[in-house]
Amino acid sequence: MNEVAVSLAGVSKTFRDFWLRPTVKAVDGLDLAVARGDVFGLLGPNGSGKSTTIKMILGLLRPDDGQVRLFGMPPSSVQARRKIGYLPELSYLHPFLTARETLAYYAGLCGLGRQDARRRIDQLLEMTDLTAAASRPVGGFSKGMARRVALASSLIGKPELLILDEPTSGLDPVSTHEVKMLIRTLSKSGMTILMTSHLLADAQDVCRNFMILNRGKGVAQGMVDKIEGSLQDYFLAKVGEERDFKVAPFLEGGAGA
Amino acid sequence: MAREAGLSAILVPGIAFAVFSSIRTIRRELESGTLQMALAHPVSRRTFLAAKLAGVLGAYGVFFVTVWASSLVAVRGAILGAAAANGDIARVWGPSLAIGTAAIVVPLAAGAVLNRFAGFRFARTAAFTALAVAATGVFYKFDAALSAAHLASSLPLVAPAVFFTVFAGAAAVRLEGNNAASLLFLVAAVSLPVLGAHYIPEAAAGGAPAPWLYAACSLLAVAPLAAAAFIAGAELFNGKDVA
Repeated sequence: MNEVAVSLAGVSKTFRDFWLRPTVKAVDGLDLAVARGDVFGLLGPNGSGKSTTIKMILGLLRPDDGQVRLFGMPPSSVQARRKIGYLPELSYLHPFLTARETLAYYAGLCGLGRQDARRRIDQLLEMTDLTAAASRPVGGFSKGMARRVALASSLIGKPELLILDEPTSGLDPVSTHEVKMLIRTLSKSGMTILMTSHLLADAQDVCRNFMILNRGKGVAQGMVDKIEGSLQDYFLAKVGEERDFKVAPFLEGGAGA
Repeated sequence: MAREAGLSAILVPGIAFAVFSSIRTIRRELESGTLQMALAHPVSRRTFLAAKLAGVLGAYGVFFVTVWASSLVAVRGAILGAAAANGDIARVWGPSLAIGTAAIVVPLAAGAVLNRFAGFRFARTAAFTALAVAATGVFYKFDAALSAAHLASSLPLVAPAVFFTVFAGAAAVRLEGNNAASLLFLVAAVSLPVLGAHYIPEAAAGGAPAPWLYAACSLLAVAPLAAAAFIAGAELFNGKDVA
């Protein structure tokens, strides 16, 4: 059995315009390995390449250089994707489908039989506290409810690897706490979890290992519980820069002048 | 013959319409992000694209089968014009008009009533009812010889157009953000077969040899197919970023 769930070796990705001129190098020679059963945090400031990395792992973006492997297989392979679940940063849902129909749609994409799908949908609706709203179109859901539908969709195939892009984005403190509890519970069942987050306190609560990305490069990695102090301080020490905001010229003459 | 060719022309704009809809569907999935969600599941891009196109073509198929069936009834009415000449107009045109009207009114009414009182989905119920009404049209005093002739005369136009539809949809995925190129390509691709379909009944009515005109029209339909294949190329399904 392959003990590495996700591996990236020398992966680079440059976005280009219509004329194929490079616009931005989002990921630059990234090496990364996530072991089976790990809860791995991919951390970094905005524009550091986290989401691009995740999309390359999912096979949605093609790397220009390097190699991505999911359980030893290329991410484009259907067999590899049978083992993964994905929660994007924004909950992309068909607004006219009900919560139950949304889950049934993704169950169909996972190739689940009718009986299996129905049982699993009931379990997931229960788990995400959506049973009462199961027959309502998701277009009318609050952001938190839509997030829970998307989370349930990512779990419908009972994945071995769960990829969460900013899982607590837009959630209230109670929902955030519930999602973190869920991540811990899923991890205890042996599921590998790879997540990105801006909220370093959240990452510190649930992740065992981490990598910090800055400008597409891995600038630090290690175990969360080996860090002295908070992950926040460690993070700022690695990627923070002193910046002159040049506020004085703007405020010349005082506010309202 | 001219009448049959004219009926074929009904199907071609229908397929052209389906092309636009297929592309719009896929583009909407790209823009809304739902394509990412779907392709993160264990389904190949090829399968997803084929299923999407099949779904759209299927949905439009219901509509155009309805139109086709109504037309067939109308043709039969014309063939049985002798009956009209004998003063038996109601027997011939009455059912034609009834089925044509019912094909529109009954599905909408059934969809609305079943949605309101039984919670059925409106679109799905209306589509199934339309199919049932269309089937009634087709089998109303079914004339196998006429139907076969009609179908045969449609194939040279429809078959290349169907292939073209699939490639055009795929090319739209490939072209993604380049709206202008997509539009230009589609206008050319869609107008050519429609143009061909327009000239065939004209020429056939004037006594020109229809078979070579059919072939010419098929070539017109194949030209955009070849262009689409060229644009899409070998990396059509594999070289594309979806995010």
